[in-house]
Amino acid sequence: MRSVQAIFVKQAKDMTKNFAVLSMFVIFPLVAFAMTHFVARGNYDISDTMFTTMMASVFAGMALIQVACSVIAEDREKKSIRFLIIAGVKPLAYLMGIGGVILIASLISSLAFAYIGGFAQDEFIAFMLVMMSGAIASVILGATIGIYAKNRQAASGLSMPFAVVLGFAPLVAQFNERVESFVGFIYTQQINVVVNDFSAGLAQPLTVIWLNIAVLAVLFVIAYVKKGLGG
Amino acid sequence: MKNQREECGRPIFNGDLCAQRMTKTMISMSKIVKKFGSQTVLSEVSFEAKQGEIFGLLGRSGAGKTTIINILTNQLKPDGGSHKIGVTSYETGLMLDEDGLYDRLSCLDNLQVFATIYGISDKNSKDALDKVGLGESANKAVSHLSKGMRQRLALARAILHNPKVLFLDEPTSGLDPNTAQGIHQLIQGLQKQGATIFLTTHNMDEAVKLCDHVLLLHKGKIVEQGVPTEICERHDAVKTVPDLEKVFIKMTGEGLS
Ligand SMILES: Nc1ncnc2c1ncn2[C@@H]1O[C@H](COP(=O)(O)OP(=O)(O)OP(=O)(O)O)[C@@H](O)[C@H]1O
Ligand SMILES: [Mg+2]
Repeated sequence: MRSVQAIFVKQAKDMTKNFAVLSMFVIFPLVAFAMTHFVARGNYDISDTMFTTMMASVFAGMALIQVACSVIAEDREKKSIRFLIIAGVKPLAYLMGIGGVILIASLISSLAFAYIGGFAQDEFIAFMLVMMSGAIASVILGATIGIYAKNRQAASGLSMPFAVVLGFAPLVAQFNERVESFVGFIYTQQINVVVNDFSAGLAQPLTVIWLNIAVLAVLFVIAYVKKGLGG
Repeated sequence: MKNQREECGRPIFNGDLCAQRMTKTMISMSKIVKKFGSQTVLSEVSFEAKQGEIFGLLGRSGAGKTTIINILTNQLKPDGGSHKIGVTSYETGLMLDEDGLYDRLSCLDNLQVFATIYGISDKNSKDALDKVGLGESANKAVSHLSKGMRQRLALARAILHNPKVLFLDEPTSGLDPNTAQGIHQLIQGLQKQGATIFLTTHNMDEAVKLCDHVLLLHKGKIVEQGVPTEICERHDAVKTVPDLEKVFIKMTGEGLS
């Protein structure tokens, strides 16, 4: 527990000084806000929530994968993790500390998205649930890539295709029905699914996301067993 | 030979206790073999470091010094042989050539991470910074430190929790003589408090000055070991100051640098 706290505080302090990472949590809600107010409002062809869902899924997919992956790859590359492990920090405690900070930052961004999208009451709860479940999936995937990659540069290269597919597939799906049916099993697409029809309920989208999480968790364990955390 | 009573920094009537401390084995390796691919980096390395001793590992670049520390601290698995440390990993401190510091955090914040992990008070972090002479830079970001300051911060992190066994990989390499001198005093102070210190160095004078016992490593093999002054005498290498360098050249046919 002390270890989780130590890593959490370290990561929180680090993030406030890491502009590249911090901006990820600000830029996407900001773009959603600007597009919603200056493009969507008063344009009958575009729904008021379109840019929110678009940016929210790019954020949950692309941005969070890159953030999780770069943080872990950096700690490995600079050998910081070694000193933690020698001090008795368990890998799970490390990942909980890092993941905790990323998820809390994601919570704040998601609240901003919910506000911009004008989601209230049941819609708000549904939106936050899919966003946070998606964030968990992305953190696990990012961590897997961060562990697997040799260094930060390799990590960002390796995470790019995942981030692009997961972040942009839902975006393309909004305009193309063939793609839409194809990406139905991807967790980031569930944000679209939920927002497009809140009345359809959460059971199916959440099941899809948590199945994604289960698969990603297995991949994570494989990467961890193969590579370890120390580097 | 050094006067161990005096070195232990204890009153004379405690001398027996002190001598006793110097006889208990704290770190040991027995016939350790390590290979990287087809390259044998360590071949049958065996030694014992006693409790309360400053134990020096000397050798040229690539001799296998860091590899030995990595094996002792369980960061690397050997291909043969056994090794043991007489304390838990919690009671060991470590300073490696790669410092692993958090660049964007301040000196103090870097130490606080570990103080929290160890469950010790924040005051320990400030004390450790003072000990290495970084008290005034406590709130400076690590990315703004000079190389020597980083090295001292890494040392502060290693001694933060008053470890019983301390591994120092080239603690003074690349430092100016004054800073190196300060670190020597710090290491001797830790020994007086009872710590066992295992350090590597290229610097023969440093080894003679600091170490109770040295091990000369060459291409993964131990070529000589013992009390510095004694092995210098044995090899007829005592000038005005004992000349370990001469022993090294005699044993390996090569100089240190
Ligand atoms: N991970 C590794 N993979 C392959 N070879 C390695 C690895 N680590 C060390 N070596 C090799 O093992 C040998 C010993 O390396 P080591 O780092 O222990 O030397 P050293 O005595 O600490 O040198 P220096 O004084 O330069 O730090 C070197 O030839 C090095 O190239
Ligand atoms: Mg080395």
